[in-house]
Amino acid sequence: MNRRLVTTLAGAVVASCLASTPARAGIEIQIFPPAWYIATARPVYYEGHAAYWYGSRWHYRDGRGWRTYNEEPRYLREYRAHREPERHYYEREHDRRHWEHDRDR
Amino acid sequence: MVAGFFTVAAAYAQAPSPTPGAAPNPSASPAEDQAGSELKEHHRHHHHGGVTKFIAMSLDTLGVDDAKRPQIEKLQSDLHAQMAAARETEKSLLLTLADGIAAGTVDTAKVDAAIAKLTAAADAVQGASLDTLNKLHAILSPSERAALADKVEAHWEVWRQVNHDAEPGGREHGGRLARLTEEVSLTPDQVTKISAALQTALAGGSAKFDPQKAEAHVKAFATAFAGDPYDAKVVSSNANGNLASRGATRMAVFYETVTPLLTPDQRTKLAAELREHGNYKPAPSAK
Repeated sequence: MNRRLVTTLAGAVVASCLASTPARAGIEIQIFPPAWYIATARPVYYEGHAAYWYGSRWHYRDGRGWRTYNEEPRYLREYRAHREPERHYYEREHDRRHWEHDRDR
Repeated sequence: MVAGFFTVAAAYAQAPSPTPGAAPNPSASPAEDQAGSELKEHHRHHHHGGVTKFIAMSLDTLGVDDAKRPQIEKLQSDLHAQMAAARETEKSLLLTLADGIAAGTVDTAKVDAAIAKLTAAADAVQGASLDTLNKLHAILSPSERAALADKVEAHWEVWRQVNHDAEPGGREHGGRLARLTEEVSLTPDQVTKISAALQTALAGGSAKFDPQKAEAHVKAFATAFAGDPYDAKVVSSNANGNLASRGATRMAVFYETVTPLLTPDQRTKLAAELREHGNYKPAPSAK
């Protein structure tokens, strides 16, 4: 299983760690998908989870937390090779429908 | 500094544990993109269904397979239909605000009446949508149900950030005032005056809204919907009216406050923007 399980710290604690060990090898920062991303991105279902491509990694929710695939699974890599992860644009969609409404009048 | 919801993973950690649960923090991400910005703008202006609206919106990006898509779109249409009365009231509110902005004075009595009507209509949405939610649960797989629950929680996080947590009159990038500055080209002097006026006008507004009620509704839905069996009736919390009232009130006070501080040209532009929001008509778009 090529997952990395990661320990989570709140932002303030992370900042503290980084300040005290700015160049220490072995420290990796991972950013999980924020709410605005989850709400606007179409996931890909894999291994029974909805996986989101964010920050050049695939992430998925496991219970109440998030996990990240350290290495991109083949299925997800191939999916991404054939199809760009989709987003939903609420205002753009609104503008498009508005334009279609005007056009059809 | 890089902000957001982080993990620090020591590559040599011996017994790493799963990420403990906390929702991603939408407010601190440094890289909000266009889709995220548009979502926030949407949530600043559309409050007609509360949590039910979050559910309907979550279907926009659930990622169901093609075979299920027609059924999901039908159920999404049904949810929109169940919110139609509230949406019409919201339209009336937005057009009232737009007319007032264009004229230079907002009719606050008419606005308050529209908000009260919107609140009642949004409150009634939950009861009307029970059968649809049960059908939706029956169609979705366990992983799709869990993903829907995640998305509803994500919409709530974003909604709360822009309609409750955001500092009144705040000038942060991507905030309501920053958006207005872009839309109507506010001068620095106008920004300063509007920011101060909003801080005064919206002071104490947060105290009138208890996010815990909405939080309880969202959590109750998410937990129940991700489980099996599911019966929509078991979710007894109903914060739809609270969400509609809070969001619409904050939106109205914002526009009532900024209107006298704008030039006629700026008011014309802003009124046109609000009319566009008022004429918003959701359509099934399950992807």
